[in-house]
Amino acid sequence: MNPLFLNNQVIVYLFSEAALLALTILLFAKIVKFLWFWDFRSYSNRQLKLEKEAYLAMTIATLLFTLKSVLLIFFVHTIDKLSLIIPGAMCAAGVISANSYGMDLLFIKLTVIFTLLLFLIANSYDLQAKTYPLFRFKSWVLIIASGLIFIEFFLDISYFTHIDTSTPVSCCSALFGNLEGANPLPFGLDITKLLLLFYMLYLGTIIALTLETKTITLLTLLLFGVIAYYGVVYFFGTYIYELPTHKCPFCMLQREYYYVGYLLWGSLFFGLFFGVIWVIMSQVGYNITKAKWASMLLLTLFVALCSLYVAIYYSKNGVLL
Amino acid sequence: MLNNSFFYFFTLSLFKNRKRYFAIVTISTLVIFLLSSVLFLSDSIKYSINSQLELEPDLIVQKRLGGRVVPLDESIVDTIAEIYGVSQVTKRVYGRYYFDKEYSALIFGVDFLDEQSSKALAKLLNREDLKRFLSSESMLVGEGVFNYFKSHFYPKAYNFLTPSGKIKSVKILKVLDRRSNLFSNNLIILPQELAKEILGLKSNEISDIALNVPNPDEAANIQRKLEGLFLNAFISGKREMQKEYENLFNYKGGLFLALYLIVVMTLSLILYQRYSLANSLEKREVAILRSLGWSIKDLLGLKALENIMLVLFSFTLGLFLGYLYVFILKAPLLSELFLGKNLQTQIEFLPHIDYLSLATIFILYATTFLSAVLIPVWRVATTEPKEALS
Repeated sequence: MNPLFLNNQVIVYLFSEAALLALTILLFAKIVKFLWFWDFRSYSNRQLKLEKEAYLAMTIATLLFTLKSVLLIFFVHTIDKLSLIIPGAMCAAGVISANSYGMDLLFIKLTVIFTLLLFLIANSYDLQAKTYPLFRFKSWVLIIASGLIFIEFFLDISYFTHIDTSTPVSCCSALFGNLEGANPLPFGLDITKLLLLFYMLYLGTIIALTLETKTITLLTLLLFGVIAYYGVVYFFGTYIYELPTHKCPFCMLQREYYYVGYLLWGSLFFGLFFGVIWVIMSQVGYNITKAKWASMLLLTLFVALCSLYVAIYYSKNGVLL
Repeated sequence: MLNNSFFYFFTLSLFKNRKRYFAIVTISTLVIFLLSSVLFLSDSIKYSINSQLELEPDLIVQKRLGGRVVPLDESIVDTIAEIYGVSQVTKRVYGRYYFDKEYSALIFGVDFLDEQSSKALAKLLNREDLKRFLSSESMLVGEGVFNYFKSHFYPKAYNFLTPSGKIKSVKILKVLDRRSNLFSNNLIILPQELAKEILGLKSNEISDIALNVPNPDEAANIQRKLEGLFLNAFISGKREMQKEYENLFNYKGGLFLALYLIVVMTLSLILYQRYSLANSLEKREVAILRSLGWSIKDLLGLKALENIMLVLFSFTLGLFLGYLYVFILKAPLLSELFLGKNLQTQIEFLPHIDYLSLATIFILYATTFLSAVLIPVWRVATTEPKEALS
């Protein structure tokens, strides 16, 4: 048997995911029923029952959002701990790329949290307006969310069963760092152009959000997400670690760096999430200024934090890395 | 909704209904206590072992014939010391001495010409003791060994029987600090020459060689060089040992946890049952609140808050009891499960809590509890006022 399955954290993680999966199946069944039979103008017994069940769906979704967010952090910590029993790995980066499922799993996890957040926001507006105007929209969001959770569970199992504890994996500097001259950045960028693009896209996003242009906002947000990821891994991260060769998105989540990674990645992801949610919600007719402001604020916090590390390093040492 | 008067009402209702929650809190606390004490214990042992492993040498060179460890010739040490990137090459002499069939102790020989071991020894002994240790044939013993000697009427010195049949009398100089009992309980420290005699090694033979590699990048390379040094060389590293211990503890803890999951599932069933049997009083309460203008969402919020409080309260209480049991009461019964019976004296568990373990307990418990009560709670909260009050 794979020794990973005797690790306390892995057992608890998979058990919790399975418990949440059971709730998701229930949720999915309810939502399908809603989409099939929902008729707000009807006074039938069934409709009244459905309206009650809508509250169950809402409660399950809230619980899922809370626990999935906690489990994401727990998951990252767990794979970080697993680096001790997997040869070659020195932090979570090595363990997550032990097989091809790892990165997909992380991405799906973030998407699940995003869709559930979108549902919660849509739901709170839906409940305020007495006639459930967003009911079909939010139901479809939940359908997508539960579909993603099914995929996530499948990936969870595949990921942990396919980690081989006897073959060595790479550590983060081998994955992101010394690529022997090959350019790891997309679109053939170099660091200067990457930084230029990083700040320009940030400004573009803020302007697009202020002007409330939906298409451009969505475009800049997505591009900024990609560029920000590369920016942190290949440039800003080296200032957090104060080491030009240390390129890793995971090590900054550790105590040695005061857990700053949670703030950094958290502000980036939630900034992007709120931005995209603003776009989607205004597409269905709700201009949520709160989401817009939250997005701008979080992205600004993210950019400020990144820049601050560079500025502090420069002011201390008088040189750049 | 989340304003002052809401919280006031919430605390009031929590106090008023404390009898209703008593059973739930008791059983949850018990379940948490069980898990937390096992995890605290295994974390504490793991911590002690890991901090000891940190002090271990990076690589150990042994000679193995057919899987058996056989003594090495001393002369190999000089060859190893000449390899670049190697430091602190130490000759080690150790072995097990069987007093009778049941009781044995680990004998460890210390080389005084070796800088490192004499430094370590200086920490244990003051100057005068050191002089006596060197001048006469004497030993340092762990507490378990000392108790054995005392019970067999050797309070001052012990007569070892060497493999050649001679009797060797060795004085007891000092008993080692009991805080390190996990490692030193069954330990006897002797001068190296004396240890060789008792263990039956020739004067040019040693058990194995320990060495450090300051640059971890070179460890693999040096390991390969050492393996080519002589036939039947067997090199083991610190990292492998760490991995083995990690796997061992995962095995013990994991086996327990796998069984424990059944307990957790039972707990969730009990909770589900308990919450499903919401009495008419509770339903009436909900009905009154709804007729006062509370929405279903508000009620769900109230119920959610109530259950989160229950989770947090029983979690904290269970952890506190677990801490008390393991670190203050020294985990009676449970420690034998983890350490085996061969340790005869009490072991001091160093209070060390791994935050990941706390998170593990909390996630397991919170997920189970909240998933189990979710549907019954929703059912109560959506009770029609007319149904409940009639």
